[in-house]
Amino acid sequence: MVARNCFNYCYRFVSLFLFIFSISYFATHAYANDSVEAVIHPSVELKSYSRNSLRAVFGMRLKTWPNGMPVRVFVMPDDAALHTIFTKEKLNIFPYQLRAGWDKLIFSGTGQAPFLVRTEEEMRERISSTPGAIGYLKRANIDESIHVLNIE
Amino acid sequence: MKAYMYSILNKQHSTLNYAMMYRLAFVAFLLIIVIQEVVAQDVKGIRIHGFLSQGYLKSTGNNDVFGNSSGSGSFDFRELGVNASYRPLPNLQFSGQLLSRSAGEDSKGGIRVDYGFVDYTAISTESMDFGIRLGRTKNPLGFYNDTRDVPFTRPSILLPQSIYFDRTRNLGLASDGAQVYGESRNSWGDLNAQFGVVFPQAGDRSTELAILQGDRSGNITPHLSYIGRLIYEYDGGRVRLAVSGAQVNTGYDAAQRDPFSGLGTFQFTPIIFSAQYNTERWSLTSEYAIRHLERHDFGAVRNLNVTGESYYFQGIYRFSPSWEGVLRYDAYYVDRDDRDGKDFARGIPAGLQNYNPSHSRFAKDITVGLRWNVTPAFMLRAEYHYINGTGWVSPLDNRAPSEIRSALGRPFLTADTDQHWNLFAFQASYRF
Repeated sequence: MVARNCFNYCYRFVSLFLFIFSISYFATHAYANDSVEAVIHPSVELKSYSRNSLRAVFGMRLKTWPNGMPVRVFVMPDDAALHTIFTKEKLNIFPYQLRAGWDKLIFSGTGQAPFLVRTEEEMRERISSTPGAIGYLKRANIDESIHVLNIE
Repeated sequence: MKAYMYSILNKQHSTLNYAMMYRLAFVAFLLIIVIQEVVAQDVKGIRIHGFLSQGYLKSTGNNDVFGNSSGSGSFDFRELGVNASYRPLPNLQFSGQLLSRSAGEDSKGGIRVDYGFVDYTAISTESMDFGIRLGRTKNPLGFYNDTRDVPFTRPSILLPQSIYFDRTRNLGLASDGAQVYGESRNSWGDLNAQFGVVFPQAGDRSTELAILQGDRSGNITPHLSYIGRLIYEYDGGRVRLAVSGAQVNTGYDAAQRDPFSGLGTFQFTPIIFSAQYNTERWSLTSEYAIRHLERHDFGAVRNLNVTGESYYFQGIYRFSPSWEGVLRYDAYYVDRDDRDGKDFARGIPAGLQNYNPSHSRFAKDITVGLRWNVTPAFMLRAEYHYINGTGWVSPLDNRAPSEIRSALGRPFLTADTDQHWNLFAFQASYRF
């Protein structure tokens, strides 16, 4: 009787453990696929870049890569969820700050606007076909035609 | 002869060409939208952007802002701009913008070259840039002057008028010459510096009115001037600090038998300190300006040596990415040694005091506003101002009735304005 109770108890404990483990595993896995990364055309020849330099790149102020290739920035619309996530999580600033910086360049002639893409599919295509291109994608949508740029 | 031509030019500008130019500009704008749709996103080609806005202003009392706003309200406030940029090499860019602004008597909708220059970046590394711009560049003053006519870049429909006053705006807009610039990007923050040796834009009526108290037979001419700004940004712009300054010099090209002397000079020396703190929901901004004005040797108008002062405190709160509110206190003093204007009013002859009241020497403006980004390209705005004083109200929009002006022999006499007044403004803006 006691042994049976004990078995029952252990069984419940193990199944609860497995349940929690599987949930956390899938959550992590799903999060990894959902997480956003800066992506570049292979011609950029970079593995990682400092956050400050990446801010300058997306701020349209840093215009050439270390290898001399011209920077081509691709972004989604200001109100796109992925744009907000990337700006906040990877650049540690807010979309309105990027917009204010771009507008100052566009409307005083001292710089240019980034290229606008509407979908992640378009983002992937443009980056894989444009030398010097940089943008962002969900990890799940990254294939071998483009490279991930890690933040130092 | 010169005076005659000048008046002809003015007349054409104000009647015939005004409506036509606006229509032309509008057609050009539509054309460019179509072109933009066709050539959009061309990686190697010319990049085109622009904006269009329509405002409505209604004020109480007798005080007019951007047209006859005190009557049934004014739809006279319109802004329209188109720019193009071309970057044949990563370190070489050509940029230009055409702008049409209608805002009462000071801006009649004529098309002007807002800027047009070539930008060469001589040194460019991951951590710094250094370059030069030749041509007409926007004046780098404070946080907002570079794009002051672009509705999306302003914190409110009207910029804080204490520093970005629209009554005498042309001297402050852009200037022709050479500008060197540099940027340094570091782990402790970014530094951005600009310095220009330039000629200001001075040939318009409101500038002449501000300097010489009337539309004189000669013309105000630009002299060599200096302008610069240094901005420090910490943590991607969480903290922004700036100091900017200019020494704007103008002279006078006297007409024949002109009572105003060609030896006359006018110098305008503003210094602006700016600070901003940005979080996800809040942007807190404050700017302080001290302005020195000197006028010498015009003969028919007395010498002037006065220092004005301005400041504002502004909070922007983002309820969501598409809705934001703004609250601001903005103060302007023509003469920091005579903040209430009492000394000024004492010097005005009897009979003219209603037209030159002490409250024309200051303005304290409390502003509450709302912004709705309907889409990233379309914005609606509304705001309310409670204002004590008429310091930045345009004299051209608020002239006394013509029979009084001719009876007193003062063609630019200002109307009998109200000290305490309200201003409501609405604006719809589109960009591409």
